[in-house]
Amino acid sequence: MTVEATIRQMAQTRREFAGKLRFFDAGIWLGRPEGFPLARPLPPEELASAIGRDFVTGGLVSHWRGKTASAQDGNLALQAILADFPEDTYAVWTGLPLYPVEPGPLPGQGDLPEKVCGVRVFPKSHNYPLAGWVVGSLCNWLVEHRLPLFIWHVELDWSSLHALAGEFPELHIVVETQTQKILYHSRPLFALMQQCGNVLVELSNFIGPRFIEYSVREFGAERLIFGSFQPMNDPLVPIGMVIDAEISDSEKFLIAGGNLRELISKVRP
Amino acid sequence: MSEPFIVDAHVHTGLPGVFFAPESGPDHLLAIMDLVSIRFGVLACDHVTLHEGAQAGLPILRQVYEQSEGRLLFLGVFDPRDADAGLAALKQAADWPGFAGLKLHPSLHRVWADDPSYERAWRFAADGDLTILTHSWSVSDYNPAQRYSTPERFEGYVRQFPQVRLVLGHAGGRGSGRREAIRMANEHPNVYLDFAGDIFCYRLLETLVASVPPEKVLFGSDFPWIDPRANLSRVLLADIDDQLKRKILSDNAHAVYKIR
Repeated sequence: MTVEATIRQMAQTRREFAGKLRFFDAGIWLGRPEGFPLARPLPPEELASAIGRDFVTGGLVSHWRGKTASAQDGNLALQAILADFPEDTYAVWTGLPLYPVEPGPLPGQGDLPEKVCGVRVFPKSHNYPLAGWVVGSLCNWLVEHRLPLFIWHVELDWSSLHALAGEFPELHIVVETQTQKILYHSRPLFALMQQCGNVLVELSNFIGPRFIEYSVREFGAERLIFGSFQPMNDPLVPIGMVIDAEISDSEKFLIAGGNLRELISKVRP
Repeated sequence: MSEPFIVDAHVHTGLPGVFFAPESGPDHLLAIMDLVSIRFGVLACDHVTLHEGAQAGLPILRQVYEQSEGRLLFLGVFDPRDADAGLAALKQAADWPGFAGLKLHPSLHRVWADDPSYERAWRFAADGDLTILTHSWSVSDYNPAQRYSTPERFEGYVRQFPQVRLVLGHAGGRGSGRREAIRMANEHPNVYLDFAGDIFCYRLLETLVASVPPEKVLFGSDFPWIDPRANLSRVLLADIDDQLKRKILSDNAHAVYKIR
């Protein structure tokens, strides 16, 4: 067999398997990225095509404005296009502490719009500590509505997250591996996952050697959530990591989308 | 499946102090290489050699090469802060089997890439027809040391030593450094790019091959920072010709590092 034929075969095998896995993406981002000068922003009108390519069949959409401008501006931008979301696509709103009360739209102020299935916080960027006395009421509200909490690792300090995860054991907390390598924080991350069963990790930059195999062995495949961080990052990176992982196919299905679909299926409006 | 054919042109081995990666030794690397048809790795030093210079680790790297049955070729790091001892060790290793060139890391060694102290390394590479692999990156607000290694800082030596093949590791990184790296790969026949590391930018491969000559791009991982599987599917599933994929995954590294 020629090298080109081998390349074609390796590509075809991956293509077929990736198609079967039906990746459900926790990290699709609209708006102007911050800190990624060469990235091309994903405009809302291209959302459907982003969902359709790279083996991603659906997922959760966030808006950069929720970090860079304000939580409310990001939520408004998402709210304006929710009705046009492609099938199997949902939104993640940005949250703030429930007290002091701020003008909306924000999680915790009445019912969430349909299709909002998660809340992300940016404690460092928005200048508040990730501590129960500040965000406890928001966490209680998230538990009540069974909404998962998303947080970039660059926005947290590990001791605070450890305390919060212990204080709210029913709150599912997805630690996202952006916007810098989480590799340098792998020691506290794995210690946290070992101690707090409600902490999950997203995969877009979970790229240390055999990290997927290690996590499945130590914590179970249920704790890993597929995310791409597109359009800043290439979905083929985490897709490749899942496809080539030395774990069972059923574990790959969970990681590719089963876990996240299960998580958002429990959301109470 | 045919014989393994891929070259991972940028790997390291050894336990990294700065993060958790227990499966980072040569055997662990070889096991992953076996999984995904990687035949050769270009070992850009272990962590001890990176930090303490060629004199500290070249015999160990030679041992790794032999134990890997010739699959893990190795580079000797040049630390300009201890140039005499390093060059002596490099000269001794120049004829060893598996020795494939020099590694520079201006950011780690905190010496500007255009500092005159690097000239001896470039001259050594020129005299021995060796390849230099260097760390390169973009100016970074959260990692100021990257400013020592921005691509344009290598350009004076690239001009002075046109016979030396320079591989800009990480292709200049994720920001302005990548533009410079692309420019240099186009302007200088002796400049190449590897995309090892977390340069996970959307459609990077398609961008690179549309921007520089096809023989200029090399597949690499930066193991154990990055599992080789992270970058592999990006190439295999890229929207580019299979012959280009072959060049990126294998042929270009064979040519640049003279792998037989």
